[in-house]
Amino acid sequence: MERTESRNIPWIIKYRPRTLKEVIGNKEGIRKVVEWLKSWEAGPPKKRALLIYGPPGVGKTVAVEAASRDLNLELIESNASDYRRNSDIKSFAGLASQYSTLTGRRRVILLDEIDGISGSIDRGGLKAILSVIENTRCPIVLTANEIFDPRFLPLRDRCLLIEFKRPSVREIVSHLRRICLLEGIEADEQALRYIAEKCNGDVRSALNDLQAAAQGLTRLTMEDVLWLGYRNRKEDIFKVLRTIFYSKDCITVKQAVDRTDLDLDMLFEWIYENVPYHFDSPFELSEAMEALALADLYRKRIGKTQSWSLLRYVIDLMTAGVALSRVGRTGRWVPFRFPQRIKLLSSTKKSRELLSKIGSRIGEKCHVSSRVAVRDILPYLRVIFQNDRKSAEGLARWLELDKAMVRYILES
Amino acid sequence: MSVEMWTEKYRPRSLSEIVNQEDIVNRLIGFVKAKNVPHCLFAGPPGTGKTTAALCLAHDLYGEGYRDYIMELNASDERGIDVIRETVKTFARTRPIGEVPFKILILDEADNMTADAQQALRRTMERYTETCRFILIANFPGRIIEPIQSRCAPFRFTFLSREDLTGRLRYIAEMEKVQLLEDGIDAIIEISEGDLRKAINILQAAASVGKPVDKEVVYGVVGRANPYDVRELIRMAMEGEFVKAREKLRELMLKYGVSGSDLVKQIHSEIFQLEIPEKWKIRLASAIGETEFRLIQGGDDEIQLSALLARLVEVGQIIGKDRE
Repeated sequence: MERTESRNIPWIIKYRPRTLKEVIGNKEGIRKVVEWLKSWEAGPPKKRALLIYGPPGVGKTVAVEAASRDLNLELIESNASDYRRNSDIKSFAGLASQYSTLTGRRRVILLDEIDGISGSIDRGGLKAILSVIENTRCPIVLTANEIFDPRFLPLRDRCLLIEFKRPSVREIVSHLRRICLLEGIEADEQALRYIAEKCNGDVRSALNDLQAAAQGLTRLTMEDVLWLGYRNRKEDIFKVLRTIFYSKDCITVKQAVDRTDLDLDMLFEWIYENVPYHFDSPFELSEAMEALALADLYRKRIGKTQSWSLLRYVIDLMTAGVALSRVGRTGRWVPFRFPQRIKLLSSTKKSRELLSKIGSRIGEKCHVSSRVAVRDILPYLRVIFQNDRKSAEGLARWLELDKAMVRYILES
Repeated sequence: MSVEMWTEKYRPRSLSEIVNQEDIVNRLIGFVKAKNVPHCLFAGPPGTGKTTAALCLAHDLYGEGYRDYIMELNASDERGIDVIRETVKTFARTRPIGEVPFKILILDEADNMTADAQQALRRTMERYTETCRFILIANFPGRIIEPIQSRCAPFRFTFLSREDLTGRLRYIAEMEKVQLLEDGIDAIIEISEGDLRKAINILQAAASVGKPVDKEVVYGVVGRANPYDVRELIRMAMEGEFVKAREKLRELMLKYGVSGSDLVKQIHSEIFQLEIPEKWKIRLASAIGETEFRLIQGGDDEIQLSALLARLVEVGQIIGKDRE
């Protein structure tokens, strides 16, 4: 019972840091935050508000939460959407006018995602916040992703600025490892590194990725995490795919692609994987695949000549070219599949490398290219290996094959 | 005694041991006597003794230590002409000590080089002629550019005769104490199509079974050595099973390391065995040719071949409808 319950909790909540010790990275920034909060004990400091800025998911809010817990402060939180109405600002001004709560606990006010304030209505809101800061009797902490918009200029002047940076890959990996341990998952270093590198310092998204890939597993390998690279973009990809597979005019389809910043090679793989499931008639299928094959050729020509102007034809063919292959009605709805080729290419990488090494060993001894060795000699060598262990040993020595190569030949 | 692949163990060491290609051998013996070798182009089908002849020539010219005077490169393995040029430069810079004032560079699968790369090669050949002679080996001399051909002494290797093949197989079987039956020889020769290397490999694989080598044993090992069936791939596609065919294609390329261009060639030769109207065979040949051309242009193996499979699905459907 408890198990199923805890299963439904997102890990970003389940493992949200309770104390500052548990917060990843930004040790210097955190030290400054604590120092500033403590300075209030001697009365309001010169700067009565703190503005923590930095990219999403690096722990700005979490640090304030943990700090207030560590320092036994009452935290009052609100975020961007709350600053819109005047009444909200008023109630928040009221809170700020008191130094402590009725119980005697001092309080700290957190205004999260201040850069979420936008448009002309909020200009007033921003003004109101500024006046609250001027008169506050308790610490106010603001967070923002980006503070270099000119309209934040007055705010920057009145706040102590602290930048939160992206934690290092190493810090994120060790955090993920701790969570895997608690969840009873044995995780490969490589897999955790992959997640940590992919998230670009966003611990929140790293943790979401970890849960998506690892929940329910006892062992986490590279193969389990590989698809994550594209998961964040799944919705975007699906939208484009739907347009491609269900539209009948070039402009709509081309625009759908123009509007996204999806990696084109990745999108190509998604289209290529899914074409056969969405075109039932052999004529349509053949035409759609031909469009993809031509797009692939243009892609290679760009690579060879660096003529990026050819890119437009790649896009035309892989999107509109595929869409316009449809003659009849659109078929039934079929869920989109992750490109199997990408999965296979990565899961067979090691064995393919081994195969080409075996090829060049044979090639050296038998005076042929490694391609010919794999094609013409290896098949017979394999038969000999499987039939006659003694000859196999001798041949392996003569060809200078290592154990892994011999095992590969015997088992494949 | 060390165990080797029999193709190497029984590869002739000296020109006098080569039992066929007599005209070629005689001309090469003449080079040895004169202690002079021009640039050469050895052309002919696989397994007819081109590489062997080159190695034997070097052996007879330089003696037992011939390895110090030659270099073997394979155009398919080297990354681009620049690597070849640099390697040649280092190799050919010094004049060897001894009676023969030049080294020999054997460049195998030279016909796999692009025309541009061959142009660059030609300049390199000219530049180092004094200290280095080239033996270019190719299956198709037509794919060697004219200026190189005109600078090389041409040698055309032809398919080995049935007698030559039989004789060699019997000799090896006797040395290895393998009982080789008449129908076993016939089977090997039929399958190997005049390619001695292939014939010897089949013999060695068949011998590893540990039974007298007869027809059954030979077909058995050949079947095992070719676990993938291109015919099966074509059949799947023509019956409309595109997704299955594409999976099969991936398996062939990723698991067995079959290259796209080899696959295209195999599909091409299978097309003519299919039971489809004759006019479609030639239409398909053209589609396959287009695919091969695209691969040469750098197209992605799987994508291009998938498009070909999709075309087969379409053709299968049309032919099916016509039959009804």
